[in-house]
Amino acid sequence: MSEKATETAAAVGLETVALTRSFGGVRAVDEATVTFRDGRINALIGPNGSGKTTFFNCVTGMIKPNSGSVLFRGKEITGRAPHRIARGGIGRSFQLCRIFPRMTVLENLLVAVRTDGLRQLLAPSRDARAIERARGLLVRVGLDHLENAEAGAISYGQQKLLELAGVLMSDPDTIMLDEPAGGVNPSLIGRIGALVRELNAEGKTFLIVEHNMEMVMSLSDHVVVFDRGRPIAEGPPSVVREDPRVLEAYLGV
Amino acid sequence: MPNASDTEERTVEGTAGRSAGGFTPPGWVRNATLVVGAALVLLFPELVPNAYVLSAGVIVACYACTATAWSFMGGFTGYVSLGHAAFFGLGAYGTGLLIRDLSLQPFLAWLLAGLIVLVVTVPVGIAALRVRGASFVIVSISFVLILLLVFQAWEDFTGGANGLNVPRPFADLYRPDHHRIFYYLFVALLAVMLLTWWVIDRSRFGAGLKAVREDEDKAEALGVPTRDYKLAAYLISATFTALAGGLYALWFGDLDPIFQFSILLGAYMVLMALLGGARNLFGPLVGAVVVGTALEYFKLEFGDTQLHLVTTAALLGIVVLFMPDGIIPAAGALLRRLGPRQASIREVTAEELLARNERRAAAGGAGAPEGASRDAPDGASGGAGEPDSESEGGR
Ligand SMILES: Nc1ncnc2c1ncn2[C@@H]1O[C@H](COP(=O)(O)OP(=O)(O)OP(=O)(O)O)[C@@H](O)[C@H]1O
Ligand SMILES: [Mg+2]
Repeated sequence: MSEKATETAAAVGLETVALTRSFGGVRAVDEATVTFRDGRINALIGPNGSGKTTFFNCVTGMIKPNSGSVLFRGKEITGRAPHRIARGGIGRSFQLCRIFPRMTVLENLLVAVRTDGLRQLLAPSRDARAIERARGLLVRVGLDHLENAEAGAISYGQQKLLELAGVLMSDPDTIMLDEPAGGVNPSLIGRIGALVRELNAEGKTFLIVEHNMEMVMSLSDHVVVFDRGRPIAEGPPSVVREDPRVLEAYLGV
Repeated sequence: MPNASDTEERTVEGTAGRSAGGFTPPGWVRNATLVVGAALVLLFPELVPNAYVLSAGVIVACYACTATAWSFMGGFTGYVSLGHAAFFGLGAYGTGLLIRDLSLQPFLAWLLAGLIVLVVTVPVGIAALRVRGASFVIVSISFVLILLLVFQAWEDFTGGANGLNVPRPFADLYRPDHHRIFYYLFVALLAVMLLTWWVIDRSRFGAGLKAVREDEDKAEALGVPTRDYKLAAYLISATFTALAGGLYALWFGDLDPIFQFSILLGAYMVLMALLGGARNLFGPLVGAVVVGTALEYFKLEFGDTQLHLVTTAALLGIVVLFMPDGIIPAAGALLRRLGPRQASIREVTAEELLARNERRAAAGGAGAPEGASRDAPDGASGGAGEPDSESEGGR
């Protein structure tokens, strides 16, 4: 797929400016300045330990950056509580798939129903509208037959789909996926890819961290390459693939 | 849309759709148990042979209140507080001091003390809930220890080790009638708690709390304001504990910091709730009846030896090791095992899941990009990227 829009046409969605986060002496994210545009399937790639997950965690508020800022559609969101960032429209999955193992598949989705005010808080969790929406999403990811299964008892691949459905349930317009293809079998990778494409066509923006190059190359409109905590190259997948700096970073020449 | 599930997954555990929540007895068994249980509880004062047993019943009812109150925090969110006696003591002393110093009507003093504890718990909760897991346990213990020292040292105000005498609300009643009234007051308080529990359990708030128990960071990432939820649960839990403490003060009439702000009392709450099943509506109540009765029996048989301490410790160990979900789920599992086999339902253990994930990861690793070696899905390096999660709270 080629660039969906020229650099200037698509609105800026997620942005970081000189974002930095160190662990002890390691600068996991090192003055990273990156821009992701709305409406695209963006990919973030880079060798192991190049700071992709740390970047995700800083953007979503799970860890505080040491310096620099995160902006979403021009508004500064640095250091906000994760739930506020999530409610602001940024959903995410985790590299090590995270679900609520002792809840049912359906209950997992009901957690993501948004609640404001005391009356909604005390309203039954299993209300008809929420359940209907959740079932619709389960059909989409192909887990509707497991609605009442305990989430911890379904397969890892199914858990990944469940996590994705949970993120969708919180109704984000930007979806960040940390290695959606990690540890799942090839046919499932195909299904996840198709789903991403479908959702993107419906207007969802994606930012995907992924090591599976086949998936990255076939899926994304725009690729950013990280090395040692900062972007070293970016552009359409076909260009990035040939970039000597990228090959060097990956091969460690 | 692509097909629901690829073939490999279907054959491996497409049928693993075992219903969560475990064993559920038929409706009539449940209802009958409830009716009989409620009747026994209500008729208890009429069935007992003497005032001594009746007073033991009051103590057990008080334990049931504290264990249930504890579970609003420990059960829903999984945050284990060993220092809940702090709220019990504050409720008890608050009630006593308001009566002594402001000459308030006893039950007005009781409600006001509950309100005061609610307010005091806001800053305490904000501070305590900054940490998770074992650290939270330590913070909760230090809070009760601080209060113990303060209430012992500040003799002019609290009476210190000499104790605080709380005038009885019904001065002209005989002892058995006094016990009977307080038995029903504790039962009424318990009923209010159980109703509150039931409302929360099925609410969105409750769903959020249970999500905190399972994976706090994940809940946050889905938009659940976990800090506010935890604080709300903590406040509810503390206030109910304080109300139980206040009733105790009015009933017993004599307070001593050593007994009111005691870690042992907090440990009893944990033991009772966990033994009965802190995630179950009636679990803490069942646990309190079992443990409370045992404690009273030990006291009667062996007097003031340390035997009950040893037994408590042993019980706590057994429960934590072998029945982490409590008696009710354990009994349910036993019934399920004894009952008809459901061949199609197969549980996948954590080890199996792990082994399978590793197999998948190994298979996936083959397709990794140019030389970028990948081991387990999250393995050694990547996992460090996620903030430490201990939302299981010491369990
Ligand atoms: N919580 C942490 N404590 C200490 N060091 C950390 C922590 N999280 C990440 N690091 C370090 O920061 C660097 C970047 O790690 P990060 O997980 O962000 O990389 P990544 O690009 O996601 O790697 P992978 O592709 O393996 O998932 C690594 O050197 C890692 O060891
Ligand atoms: Mg990572």
